[in-house]
Amino acid sequence: MRCRESDFEKIPGSVSRRDFLKVCTATAVYMGLPASFGPKIAEAATAAKKRPPVIWLSAQECTGCVETLLRTTHPTLEHLILDLISLDYSETLNTGAGHQAEEYREKSIEENKGKFILVCDGSIPVKDGGIYCKIAGKPVLEILKETAPKAAAVVAIGSCASWGGVPSAEPNPTGATPVYKILEGTGIPVINIPGCPPNGYNFLSTVLYYVTFSKLPELDDKLRPKFAYGRLIHENCERRPHFDAGRFAEQFGDEGHLQGYCLYKLGCKGPETYNNCSTLRFNDMGTWPVNTGHPCFGCSEEGVGFNIPLHTPAVVKNVTPSAVQTPITVDHGGGMSSGAVALAAGVAGAAIGAGVVAMKKVGQEEKKQD
Amino acid sequence: MAKRITIDPVTRIEGHLRIDCEIDNGKVSNAWSSGQMWRGFEVILQGRDPREAWLFVQRFCGV
Repeated sequence: MRCRESDFEKIPGSVSRRDFLKVCTATAVYMGLPASFGPKIAEAATAAKKRPPVIWLSAQECTGCVETLLRTTHPTLEHLILDLISLDYSETLNTGAGHQAEEYREKSIEENKGKFILVCDGSIPVKDGGIYCKIAGKPVLEILKETAPKAAAVVAIGSCASWGGVPSAEPNPTGATPVYKILEGTGIPVINIPGCPPNGYNFLSTVLYYVTFSKLPELDDKLRPKFAYGRLIHENCERRPHFDAGRFAEQFGDEGHLQGYCLYKLGCKGPETYNNCSTLRFNDMGTWPVNTGHPCFGCSEEGVGFNIPLHTPAVVKNVTPSAVQTPITVDHGGGMSSGAVALAAGVAGAAIGAGVVAMKKVGQEEKKQD
Repeated sequence: MAKRITIDPVTRIEGHLRIDCEIDNGKVSNAWSSGQMWRGFEVILQGRDPREAWLFVQRFCGV
């Protein structure tokens, strides 16, 4: 079945078939699937009789993960997220409050037993019987334990839910625990999307993958989807040639820093952090911490972010020499050169970055034509 | 006899808020608001390098 214009008329909001296919194809490409999977994803998402229900449970969080999803400036992304899935419960977005919201949550869970996706942001406090986070008078620890067995899968979004994040920093006063540890041994599938905040596209792609193939994408040993967390930030960093050539910023604001040199000596954790920030970037503006001049602090890596001090140099993992000679002169870090630099690093991940950049260009071309 | 109304969770805000109201003869006679979540930033920050304090306190609220 092909998706038709009429399929989109049923979807509230301003999603056109063209925009939708564009996002689905971009998603397919950057997950490492052939671009031809784009229409397949679009078909699966529109053919579903019922949008997959999602219960969004908030624990010890700051709502940054919800914000990153809502504020993504890609056209109509917020519509896609809210219209593709049926968001049946979210403390931040619910219209109803108090017992109304709680009743609706329970109703949806019972009606969609075994079918809904449970998204959890924030860590789960276990100290003192879980009193450090309560919803409707009940510890979130209990709510999670009751709800998770009824869900099709659990998505832990953000560093707090994935590995503990900020609340779990020494001395972890509330016993903040990641979701997968609470559910250990239950056999309930858990997928981690760490980041502080994570990229909204990593979440969207995981959900689209699930909707299309009815299974979770391939995960690494820390339960993170490989399409997003398969490579070290360092491997695709636009400042990598400076690292290889030994050009470093020694202090914030010094000549090297102004020249856009490598931030390793300022404590950049890119060499030990697995994430796609350097290729995917944020806010559809090609921006990410390193191109603004700030070192990566390893937010998505358990035991690195909020654990290893900010200014302590990283342990360089996978010390592989670059496949090609680094250029003698390299301009400031930043701009849209990430695709080319990634290629210089000689890694397969380059295709991912290039795919995203290519899609952006397609988008711009089409806009011009429009 | 005063009537008690509890709204928990208060939605469309950041965080976990609970509101309790006491109603006496159609009028609010007393009310309480309480945050239902605590992460312990006050404790986590003790003894840390001040240069990285921002990294933690910035995450008080993500909105």
